[in-house]
Amino acid sequence: MNNGEVEILLVEDCQEDVDLTLHALRRENLANNIMIVRDGEEALDFLFCRGPFADRSFEKPPRLVMLDLKLPKIDGIEVLRQTKSHPRTRIIPVVILTSSKEERDLVRSYDLGANSYIQKPVDFDKFRETVKQLGLYWLITNQAPLSNGVKRVSEIKR
Amino acid sequence: MSSIGTVASAAAEKGTPVQQIRVLLVEDNLSDMELLLRALRRDGFDGEFDAVQTAEEFAQRIRTKSYDIVLADYNLPQWTGMEALEMLHQEGLDIPLILVSGALPDETAVGCIKRGASDYILKDRLARLPAAVRSALEDKKLREERERAQRELAQKVEELARSNRELEQFAYVASHDLQEPLRMVAAYTQILGEKYRGKLDEQADKYIYYAVDGAKRMQTLIQDLLAFSRAGRGTERSLTDGRVAVEQALSNLTAAIRESHAEVKFDHLPVVLANHSLLVQLFQNLIGNAIKFRGIDTPLIQIAAEQETGQWIFTVADNGIGMAPEYLEDVFIIFKRLHTREEYPGNGIGLSICRKIVEQHGGRISVTSQEGQGSTFRFTLPATEPEFQPGHTL
Repeated sequence: MNNGEVEILLVEDCQEDVDLTLHALRRENLANNIMIVRDGEEALDFLFCRGPFADRSFEKPPRLVMLDLKLPKIDGIEVLRQTKSHPRTRIIPVVILTSSKEERDLVRSYDLGANSYIQKPVDFDKFRETVKQLGLYWLITNQAPLSNGVKRVSEIKR
Repeated sequence: MSSIGTVASAAAEKGTPVQQIRVLLVEDNLSDMELLLRALRRDGFDGEFDAVQTAEEFAQRIRTKSYDIVLADYNLPQWTGMEALEMLHQEGLDIPLILVSGALPDETAVGCIKRGASDYILKDRLARLPAAVRSALEDKKLREERERAQRELAQKVEELARSNRELEQFAYVASHDLQEPLRMVAAYTQILGEKYRGKLDEQADKYIYYAVDGAKRMQTLIQDLLAFSRAGRGTERSLTDGRVAVEQALSNLTAAIRESHAEVKFDHLPVVLANHSLLVQLFQNLIGNAIKFRGIDTPLIQIAAEQETGQWIFTVADNGIGMAPEYLEDVFIIFKRLHTREEYPGNGIGLSICRKIVEQHGGRISVTSQEGQGSTFRFTLPATEPEFQPGHTL
């Protein structure tokens, strides 16, 4: 992680899935600035710059949150709800990446403001392709939202 | 109880097997009672014989002790044998009652039998009594056995329905939960294969390939299993135009139709009460199969429907490779395949889903075929009632 800049926050409790996602991102050289948290509480601490992440700044939000729904402590839906209902965090793009096939999870996620909802493809090639596209789109194609002018200036200086 | 009380049992005469019974006598005449008991004992009955005279005594006896049979005089000082019968009914007791009486008017005797007395014996024809008792006991036994059989049957039906539901649920949950760990096996063996191909030895490459291939096939199987169990879950019905369902199935099969130059013909198809997406899937599987198992000729598939009492019979006929008669039943069994995977890909799930869909709609599916002469699949769907015309909502 270079100077606290995190491009992707990966919220995933299953280590095998973390490794698979990293593997897929690495192939595209998208895995440089990834923060991995393993439960909903840690995810909220990170996003709201508190607890172990108190030294983080709201000025530098991640460019993408990949959020699993089934998480220990606080579930993904609640992480999404809190993130999207707070003015300082709601601009952060959140993509739900889940193995849930429940339609109500999908409806609820969009209802709470998820930017995208993706069911983890069972086929590994498709999974890899999906993660690649996700990374390319949100980190390269998509223009990141700016929380305020300060960040823009700092970026230009860099 | 009166002084008549319990009559001591005595050993039966002769060598006939003794049948132990508990008898309640409703009789006020002591010598009549003696004759009655003698008649029974002579014919191989023994056991407990209680006697009462009044309705009160009778009521108390039947409430405190269980009897195999009641033998009642008709004409008693304060009441009649028929009242004893009524009391048994009121207490909910299924104890056969035989009237043992002096001559009665025919209509009285017939009336007693109609209201549930097992038999009517004249006091001067007591020789007939043992046979009447045997027959009444036998009737009761049969009645009880029938009731028990019915109860057991109802219970079995309920158990079967429950175990079916559980099985459905199990198939769904199992395949759903198996999918996750298998996803990891498939993914990581694939990564292993990519990372170490050519770096170990030829054998290792081959083994990894087998592992990846096996995992992928199992994934397909599990997805098929899920699809199969989902086919049993769509229970919403609406008026569905058969023509629309076929057209949608054809549009889902565009690639296969174009590639095979298949021609699909259908004219009038009815509106049926069905689950729309399941009906589409049914046609899609049948048409898809017809294309897949085509012969050397360009595939020609004809879809038709005709009405028969209370139902529509749909046919999907093709000019494909057909199949030998001995396999006609088997093709609807899940994971049953008639060809190797190299000849025709697939897991043998399509037709089992078809059968499930049809049966879910209360219909039946069958196939007639000859090897090399095409196949004709036939399935029935209940005809919609006259009031279910298009435009009506249900």
